[in-house]
Amino acid sequence: MKNNTQKTSPSLIARLLSPIHQGQQLIASFHDLWRTPMASLMTILVLGISLALPATLHLFSKNAERVSAQWQTAAEISVFLKMSVTEASAQNLVQRIKLYPQVQQVRYISADDAMDQFKKLSGFGNALSYLDTNPLPITLLVTPTQRHSQPMAAKALLEKIQGEREVEQGKLDVEWLTRLEAIMVLIKDIVFALAALLSFSVVLIIGNTIRLAILNQKDAIAVMKLVGATDGFIQRPYLFTGFWYGVLGGLLASATVSVLGRYLGLAISSLAELYENQFSMQGLNLQELGVLLSIAVFLGLLGSYISVRKHIRSIEPNAD
Amino acid sequence: MIDFKNVNKTYPGGFHALKNINFSLQAGEMAFLTGHSGAGKSTLLKLITLMEKPTSGQVIINNSDLSKVSYSQVPYIRRNIGMIFQNHNLLMDRTVFDNVALPLVIEGLTPRQIRKRVEAALDKVGLSSKLKCYPYMLSGGEQQRVGIARAIVNKPPIILADEPTGNLDPKLSLDIIQLFEDFNAVGVCVLIATHDLGLIARMKYRNLTLTQGKMITDGLAVTEANE
Ligand SMILES: Nc1ncnc2c1ncn2[C@@H]1O[C@H](COP(=O)(O)OP(=O)(O)OP(=O)(O)O)[C@@H](O)[C@H]1O
Ligand SMILES: [Mg+2]
Repeated sequence: MKNNTQKTSPSLIARLLSPIHQGQQLIASFHDLWRTPMASLMTILVLGISLALPATLHLFSKNAERVSAQWQTAAEISVFLKMSVTEASAQNLVQRIKLYPQVQQVRYISADDAMDQFKKLSGFGNALSYLDTNPLPITLLVTPTQRHSQPMAAKALLEKIQGEREVEQGKLDVEWLTRLEAIMVLIKDIVFALAALLSFSVVLIIGNTIRLAILNQKDAIAVMKLVGATDGFIQRPYLFTGFWYGVLGGLLASATVSVLGRYLGLAISSLAELYENQFSMQGLNLQELGVLLSIAVFLGLLGSYISVRKHIRSIEPNAD
Repeated sequence: MIDFKNVNKTYPGGFHALKNINFSLQAGEMAFLTGHSGAGKSTLLKLITLMEKPTSGQVIINNSDLSKVSYSQVPYIRRNIGMIFQNHNLLMDRTVFDNVALPLVIEGLTPRQIRKRVEAALDKVGLSSKLKCYPYMLSGGEQQRVGIARAIVNKPPIILADEPTGNLDPKLSLDIIQLFEDFNAVGVCVLIATHDLGLIARMKYRNLTLTQGKMITDGLAVTEANE
């Protein structure tokens, strides 16, 4: 027996002529994509769009998370004092609250200041000056330290402040924070489920495209088997094809996500301006792009591998 | 080199194509396989090349029992057998050079080695000038010879041919048979299935004859008589 242990190397369908290096084969198989331009294009489009969808959702949840993180650390407790509290005792309270270890800063807003601000913001303007007395209480804005700005800790602080006798009412809007967190978790779950489903269909579609390519070359494959080609040898160009589908589909997905991301970013930052909030959309970073591309290549290879395993084996040479 | 022990082949559908075939061919031996159309010659060659499996009995090639060869080992067995079939089994979208180079590419030879061997093989079948042609540009006989060049290019220890002279004129037929003789002279085992009794009659090689799936003579008595 000769050559039993010899490893086979290059590919036929890519290039028969000489046992060219794998790199050259890879490039040759890239050109092979354009032999069936429609099928290749459709496959790449499906792959790109399928991956762009969960990636865009991921981008969304990532940015939403950043925004909520900003708001969360800036969480303030509004403390409304009883109407009867004088300015002096209010200042006294400010000093006491400043001594709390959980508190970073306390801002004092006198009833008059509060009125001015309200006039400005509400747009009632002069109408309010017809009021005899100022109906607004003295307000303190308490900013917790970083460590105590999480919903639970902030709530504990709120309760403590409400224990002070000058305080009528304190308000901490933690409800929407917890709700936002729940939504974020939900979005992440959706991204994951969607990605899994779409990946599955991508594998099927690539598998089918490769299957058609194999059936197109049925006779050539039979001849190769006749002269002793191993399945590994025959399947290599198809795996390369799957690889290229992955690369091109991944690039398409990345491009789509950055375009969508930029578009979304514009919309959001104009919205953020309304809320006096500095916000800039963050696109996918290099690492995330790398992950996206790797997933695309992996799916391309997986789809072609499954197809190749199944269909090349079933082709047999015949003599008639 | 080639050993058949009580081999039967029944095709799906129930046709009993080979009936209890026993014979063996030594390394370096050359023999003809004759018989009427439908006698089972091609079937016998297909068993050797693992294109069909025997229904019962053993086929042993090069000391490997083919019934024990796993799917992944099949290509390596086939590399030891140069096959020339009635249909030429050429790649129609590849040049003559590429077609002949195929077995060498599969074995991973360098481009230089491939070029040298392909040119030598095409020279032997008299097709050096058609290197860059595509199979559809060639006559039936020329395609046949490309198939022969491909079968011999990697110097296998066994060559099987099914009607290798089917499309050739008498002069070319003789040339081709002489080519097989040359290979046989350097120790290659050659088995040729043919109708061309006139051609065989002129030579004193062993002749295995099939009739309706039975081997009525394995040619051994004749060879001994000749010696
Ligand atoms: N795949 C198949 N399925 C069913 N029957 C088959 C098959 N292949 C061959 N046969 C039958 O087996 C018999 C032997 O066929 P085979 O091709 O071996 O004959 P042959 O001796 O090579 O004939 P020829 O000289 O015409 O090529 C024929 O009667 C044929 O009909
Ligand atoms: Mg036949």
